[in-house]
Amino acid sequence: MNYNWNWGIFFDASPEGTGTYADMLLSGLIWTIVTALCAWVIAFAVGSVIGVLRTLPSRPAQAVGNAYVELFRNIPLLVQMFLWFFVLPELLPESWGTWLKQLPNAPFYTAVVCLGFFTASRVAEQVRAGIQALPRGQRMAGTALGLTTAQTYRYVLLPNAYRIILPPLTSEFLNNLKNTSVALTIGLLELTARARAMQEFSFQVFEAFTAATIIYIIINLLVVTAAGLIERRVAVPGR
Amino acid sequence: MFSNFDFSVILNSWRYLFFDGMTFTLTLTALAALGGVVLGTLIAMMRLSGLPVLPQVAKAYVNFMRSLPLVLVIFWFYFLVPYIGQWLIGSERPIQVGAFSSSLITFTLFEAAYFSEIMRAGIQSIPKGQAAAASALGLTYWQAMGNVILPQAFRNMLPVLLTQTIVLFQDTSLVYVLSITDFLGAASKVAQRDGRLVEMYLFAAVVYFAVCFIASLLVRRLQRRVAIIR
Amino acid sequence: MTSSAMPPVSPAPEPQAAAAAAPASGPVGTLLSEPPPAAATGGPMITIDGVSKWYGDFQVLTNCTTAIRKGEVVVVCGPSGSGKSTLIKCVNALEPFQKGQITVDGTQIANKKTNLPKLRSRVGMVFQHFELFPHLSITDNLSLAQRKVLGRGRDEAEAKGLALLERVGLKAHAHKYPGQLSGGQQQRVAIARALAMNPIVMLFDEPTSALDPEMVGEVLDVMVELAREGMTMMVVTHEMGFARKVAHRVIFMDKGEIVEDAQKEDFFGSPRSERAQTFLSRILSH
Repeated sequence: MNYNWNWGIFFDASPEGTGTYADMLLSGLIWTIVTALCAWVIAFAVGSVIGVLRTLPSRPAQAVGNAYVELFRNIPLLVQMFLWFFVLPELLPESWGTWLKQLPNAPFYTAVVCLGFFTASRVAEQVRAGIQALPRGQRMAGTALGLTTAQTYRYVLLPNAYRIILPPLTSEFLNNLKNTSVALTIGLLELTARARAMQEFSFQVFEAFTAATIIYIIINLLVVTAAGLIERRVAVPGR
Repeated sequence: MFSNFDFSVILNSWRYLFFDGMTFTLTLTALAALGGVVLGTLIAMMRLSGLPVLPQVAKAYVNFMRSLPLVLVIFWFYFLVPYIGQWLIGSERPIQVGAFSSSLITFTLFEAAYFSEIMRAGIQSIPKGQAAAASALGLTYWQAMGNVILPQAFRNMLPVLLTQTIVLFQDTSLVYVLSITDFLGAASKVAQRDGRLVEMYLFAAVVYFAVCFIASLLVRRLQRRVAIIR
Repeated sequence: MTSSAMPPVSPAPEPQAAAAAAPASGPVGTLLSEPPPAAATGGPMITIDGVSKWYGDFQVLTNCTTAIRKGEVVVVCGPSGSGKSTLIKCVNALEPFQKGQITVDGTQIANKKTNLPKLRSRVGMVFQHFELFPHLSITDNLSLAQRKVLGRGRDEAEAKGLALLERVGLKAHAHKYPGQLSGGQQQRVAIARALAMNPIVMLFDEPTSALDPEMVGEVLDVMVELAREGMTMMVVTHEMGFARKVAHRVIFMDKGEIVEDAQKEDFFGSPRSERAQTFLSRILSH
């Protein structure tokens, strides 16, 4: 393989004039993490609500929850990204659309909202599965004690369901983190985008991608370790 | 609110969208699913083999692929495959690899990691007694796998494998980052050429949704049938 | 056999009474020699009037009518699938029914204006599978509904819970989690959890049928004592020893119907229906 390796490239100044290539990747990493965390807040909140809707003893509530999940699961994330970024501003009243298009950091906000709602459909699926995995009697016991439906969910069903689904939620979080890279198509300068830019500027393809790869693997390991700690922390004695 | 939109752009371009774009998408999906399942099954067998080293290699491969964003993997292979080709055939320069071959290699290798996890669960779902019975009858490992274990594992896991294939179908849209004319790529090119982003992206969303929704309904029906027969 | 687990609040049961509470206890004769509990004479606590229920086309309850007076202990028995668990769940509206009326302490439960959470908070219920909340400590299991439904303060709720735990002999386990207790212990906690709400009536839905045989006695002991104190109780159970000892009335159900509704002495002495006779001979023959 006649490829000119140059591992020192990371310490060369990038043509953007704001630091070295290493700084460039670092700023990409920060955007990746910030985007993933913000999107996760939306995904967790919306996903929990939709997941709960699907377990309520009400046909309309279930229909709304199911429709949400089907809609967001059956359209590729990249297409959803384009819909939020290119299509939504055109469908809104003109002044709103203009405001949206001129928003600084528009790719970031779009990525957060798009990923948030997309991941919510996957979180919803897990939350529903977690609640339905609980014995039917748990809901009855809460109800029989006089708890309202909302209280039964808040104090009995959800705390148990979240514990059960912690492992799948961890992998959804990781998927969410990896999916931030799809936002490079709308101009988010996240880690993969920065690695790609470094490759274009420096022609050191494999150094750039190797660095990005190692960073992704480290993040994965950190998240998995953290999830393990949380799991132990919230584990219920005797189970 | 659609008053100033021009949906005739779809009528004018549907041949290009479907004959060029969707054909690419579907071919890539089908071949990558096939290759991914075959390779994934081999990886799952390595993982469960109990031989030295092989299980660790398989596990490392799966965890590695699953840690990376598909977009990054697409870039990786796009640049790496020419060099590997050069090394394989010993040519002077990195060889030119077409967009289709490059994507096919990428998706096969990437999805194999996900398919292997499904097949591993499938193989593990077969009671240990089945393998014991096959050995007792004098079947070799490969005979037992090929005639007894894998057929049952495939059958049990068919709905999950198909669901993952629907995910793969959606994932192929990411070849957009290499400016390839898959279905979304075609829609995008028309959109830019005619300045009709809203119409084209909405249409692409509707088509993807229709295909995936109907496919997942069919998978659910299959799942019920498989469940009843068992 | 397990009376030591029960610190007496009311006068302790006689030794053979405690023994008789065990499920596989000796011949029926010793049970019959028990002194009868005080007769219940209060007004109606629960009235069930012409209740029918369907799951789709399948009728699970057919025109069930009965009443339970204040202070009365009524045992509901019958073969599995007879609708007895469904009926008791209708009483606090855990299961909806399509025809008939049920009132609890004068309140119609099917009335849309009825505040069901409030009503249910006054009706204690004990489930076959305990249904303690696995993520909460025993203390929190006992205080959750007191705080969220009755609005009691944390200290008050915990003190009340602890007192009841002491009553069921489990004070030392207050800090533990349900998964760390045996089935019998969990069911005693579940009874204490229901009592913590100061219920006016207690419903028991097969409280001992998910227990290992050696744990049945400790739970029945608690229930016997509760009955002796005058609690109004509706108990779905197969424990005929319990029925003989503390029940005033026995209701026998089969195929969704109340086949027999008789004073205990009449039911065990000479059941009128053939189905009840068959059931009794089966359940008492071993």
